[in-house]
Amino acid sequence: MTTHSDRVRVSGDFFELLDRSGYQWQSPLKSLPENKFIEISQGTTVLAFHYKEGVIVAGDRRATAGNAIMYDRCDKVIPIDDYSLMAIAGVPATAFEMARILSHNFEYYRRSQLQSMSTEGKVRALSKLLKENVGMAMQGVGAVSPLLATYDSSQGKPFLYFYDMLGAEFRILTHVATGSGSPMIRGVLEHENLWGARPLEERSEREASALAIRLLQTAAQFDSATGQARPEDKLYPIIARITKNGYQFVPEDEMADLYKTSMKKG
Amino acid sequence: MFEEPFRWMEAISTRHSYVREKLQKARPVLSVPYDEGAVIFGFAPQSGKIFEIYDRIALGGLGHPADIERLRMTLLDMAHVEGFSRSAQDVTIARLLQFGIAPALKQNFEEVQRAPYLVQLLLAELNNEGVAEFYRLSYDGYWETFRKGTVIVGDRKVQEHIQKEIEKTDFASLKLNQALKKGLCLWEEGCKLDDSGEYKAGDESDSEEPDEAPSTLKDAFGQWTLEAAVLNKNTGRKRLYRALDTKEIDALKEVALK
Repeated sequence: MTTHSDRVRVSGDFFELLDRSGYQWQSPLKSLPENKFIEISQGTTVLAFHYKEGVIVAGDRRATAGNAIMYDRCDKVIPIDDYSLMAIAGVPATAFEMARILSHNFEYYRRSQLQSMSTEGKVRALSKLLKENVGMAMQGVGAVSPLLATYDSSQGKPFLYFYDMLGAEFRILTHVATGSGSPMIRGVLEHENLWGARPLEERSEREASALAIRLLQTAAQFDSATGQARPEDKLYPIIARITKNGYQFVPEDEMADLYKTSMKKG
Repeated sequence: MFEEPFRWMEAISTRHSYVREKLQKARPVLSVPYDEGAVIFGFAPQSGKIFEIYDRIALGGLGHPADIERLRMTLLDMAHVEGFSRSAQDVTIARLLQFGIAPALKQNFEEVQRAPYLVQLLLAELNNEGVAEFYRLSYDGYWETFRKGTVIVGDRKVQEHIQKEIEKTDFASLKLNQALKKGLCLWEEGCKLDDSGEYKAGDESDSEEPDEAPSTLKDAFGQWTLEAAVLNKNTGRKRLYRALDTKEIDALKEVALK
């Protein structure tokens, strides 16, 4: 029946399934010359660092196109599977599509092969997507520079990776930030890690969340493409944690309290 | 050989008997609601009874493992392509069965030159409102829907008996452990009935399950493995399916054997 009787497939590869169903990942627009003047929405600040129980991933909510603010409730931290999160910086159209493919890729593999994909496999899967997107990235219409955080249950520890837009992967042992606001806070992160009250990896969940909120607020102060929190409109950054229990987003009511205490001066 | 209608009908009838005979000794797989969703479980000598199809869909199967596998892969492919190109909310068992595997199964069954599928499938789903729905799919493509839970067993009459018992019980108000305990009792009851010979039909010597298949919970826990999974609407995540781990199964074993 259907296509299965005459086919033996053991790869559990969702990319292959997509190919067979006629889907095409974006190919470079051959007739389009390189154009530096196209206004594409890509301003962002997303960051992630190791803390005591796992990895914290946070992002602001703003999407921009040039000087225009297009949207202020963008979710840039996206669940991929129960143990993985992707934080996106770059062109949202491409980034969201990548997240959707990646999510189906991990889950299809796990369900069909009856085992989770290895961390290395997961890391490479995103790298592969980015490599296939190089054409769009070079033409300036689809560059994405994501972070991937995942908890490896077999090894009992979390992993954090940063990617450049060509698909190179870098394992991060301490902290990372990407997006247009990231240069404003990378130094702060390093300073906090080396000379702060405690190294980042020894901080508690609450301390780590408070630091993430402050960093995003700092980035928003200096980068117009990074959105500030607006408590009066219940608009807060997105903060998620990955631990041995999988991912968990900070719920809105907890966020309101966390934001208030984090913003206290002194 | 099959030009005459009678010959064709005879061939179909033989196929029915052949498949039923093959499935005759298969032990029950049950799925029932509980207060947070639905639970699906069955005993097996090796893993291969309970599977995850999509975020809110679980599958239970009995029969030939290779046939279950082919149908499982078809369901997985359909669900993931649909969930990717539209939305997870558009992936429903009703669509997967009605427009997907049921017509193909029926066609396969009636093409008498081809080997029939030796399977019975049970599908459970938490719909977009969080309500549990249950589906039973037969080897000939015939499918039925249930609200209060359902069961697949090799023996048709045992199946009817357990089904009636399921309908009588208000599983949806029970906690997970209570629902599982009650469900396991029905499993044992079904096996005993099966072995008592009361409902025996046909030759059982060539069945898919070994003859020494356990029929009491004590033997089943001792010789086979209990596979169980839940669809829990309160996880707060996209994926509602979760297989029970060894610790949970061991705890359940203690309660069930008391």
